[in-house]
Amino acid sequence: MSWLAFGLIVWISGWQFNAWLARRPDSSLARVIAPIIFGVTLVLVWEALVRGLGISKVLLPAPSDIAVAFANSTAILWKDFLQTVIKGALSGYAIGCGSAFVIAVAIDRFPFLQRGLLPVGNFVAALPIIGMAPILVMWFGFDWQSKAAVVVVMVFFPMLVNTVQGLQESEPMQRDLMRTYGAGYWMTLLKLRLPSAMPFIFNGLKIGTTLALIGAIVAEFFGSPTHGMGFRISTSVGQLAMDLVWAEIVVAAIAGSTFYGGVALVEKAVTFWHPSQRSRK
Amino acid sequence: MKKFTTAMGTLALGAWGVGAYAADDVTLQLKWVTQAQFAGYYVAQDKGFYDDEDLNVTIKPGGPDIAPAQVIAGGGADVVLDWMPSALASREKGLPLVNIAQPFKSSGMMLTCRKDAGIESPEDFPGKTLGVWFFGNEYPFLSWMSKLGLPTDGSDAGVEVLKQGFNVDPLLQGQAACVSTMTYNEYWQIIDAGLTPEDLVVFKYEDQGVATLEDGMYVLEENLSDPAFADKMVRFVRASMKGWKWAEENPEDAAMIVLDNDASGAQTEEHQIRMMKEVAKLTAGSNGALDPADFQRTVDSLLSGGSDPVITADPGDAAWTHAISDKALN
Repeated sequence: MSWLAFGLIVWISGWQFNAWLARRPDSSLARVIAPIIFGVTLVLVWEALVRGLGISKVLLPAPSDIAVAFANSTAILWKDFLQTVIKGALSGYAIGCGSAFVIAVAIDRFPFLQRGLLPVGNFVAALPIIGMAPILVMWFGFDWQSKAAVVVVMVFFPMLVNTVQGLQESEPMQRDLMRTYGAGYWMTLLKLRLPSAMPFIFNGLKIGTTLALIGAIVAEFFGSPTHGMGFRISTSVGQLAMDLVWAEIVVAAIAGSTFYGGVALVEKAVTFWHPSQRSRK
Repeated sequence: MKKFTTAMGTLALGAWGVGAYAADDVTLQLKWVTQAQFAGYYVAQDKGFYDDEDLNVTIKPGGPDIAPAQVIAGGGADVVLDWMPSALASREKGLPLVNIAQPFKSSGMMLTCRKDAGIESPEDFPGKTLGVWFFGNEYPFLSWMSKLGLPTDGSDAGVEVLKQGFNVDPLLQGQAACVSTMTYNEYWQIIDAGLTPEDLVVFKYEDQGVATLEDGMYVLEENLSDPAFADKMVRFVRASMKGWKWAEENPEDAAMIVLDNDASGAQTEEHQIRMMKEVAKLTAGSNGALDPADFQRTVDSLLSGGSDPVITADPGDAAWTHAISDKALN
């Protein structure tokens, strides 16, 4: 009962504090603190509810249980992280986005490819991952290579479409101006069209970050060596080690946010000239 | 007036309905999809053995992503079928499961290897890739490997383990030298895929001395102290065992009953009849009561897990009871 009361108090005071912050004049400090308070409140209320209502650990472990499991199994988590995020997701992301970029430029250069390749890209994007994953596991083996292949399939299309679209962004007037400067195709591409395509390209890259992680984890459900985040999540459920499952989810959340945040930071540096970036302080 | 008559009529009908169908509800969670592995329960339902005991039984099929222990923890079932290793592991994780009956006397699990992968005996395992089912089914394999002294971390002296999906593709594709199979199911998928028994080497867990008990009935410990629940379970076990013995004697008919209950339509007649005949070999010799010696053998095997044992302490007699089966079967 005292846990429930504690949860209620935390909830109300967290709410009140954030409401007070919102009433104050806008400041960058408040903008950082408000979501932190929200997150901390959520975790504390979760802890209080699990303890107060006596929810079985097998169904929903308390955040403190998850933290203990996290601390006790850092070696396992690190090994899984290397396997899934570094080997599976990142390599697939690099290959998928890289090849999509090159093909997008080719499509832009040769219009007949646009009619031939884009529909194929469309088709690949429509393939469900749970249908593709077992086949790719069969082709590329059980290790990270097949996971990377699934990631390639997943990130390829958003990257392709965004880049193709981005390359058409520059105005005819600007292209005419480049021609009067005596710039050829490659010079125009490099100096005008790629820079103006950057907001689109980064859009594709950002969408790809989360897709890559999902693809790598889900692909491990369909056969894997005995490590990796997807392996651990799918097998630990059967062992009722829910605290370890949640620890893996925490790792996935941190890895995904960091990955996305990293790409967003690079975007900010590269497309500083774009209105969407300029308008921010 | 008309309304009143309707209301009275409904009330009377309702009362009659309650009187006729005041059966006790029991929900059973299977370990796997509808197939002859669970024929006894479907027979008991189809032949009215549950009705005779005044039970209204709901049979919930399982699947690759359903952990029976988690279902019972969440209140989704009264009784679950599980393998003893994962039931005992769940017990250690804080979910007090108790075995109330054990229709399967022998284990149907085996490791099936290709001769052309260079496997003749367990001495040939080092350096090979072996397919293993996880999700709680890996425990017998791990205790076997630790008995053989083979590390499973992929080091040179040990074996490479891959997480096998619930099919035999890795063996057919040559990605693994051996895969896990059940005598009544996956083994025949390999045969159906075109390999002959002469191409294969089979290691039964029973023969290797690492067999663990499969498909026992488990309930939550706290429920057993409720006399009404215990009484329900007595009747449930009695009717289920009657179903099992009927299925053993009439494999063809039992297989057809299973097929009738397979909502997925994924099973075939030939496969189910063959499965029923194989399953009958495993249930033979059990009247439903757990043999304490079998229990102890399973526990000893699980405790011998080397550096990474499946369970860390002997759960003792609390993990099983004859209270239900004694009343049900005598």
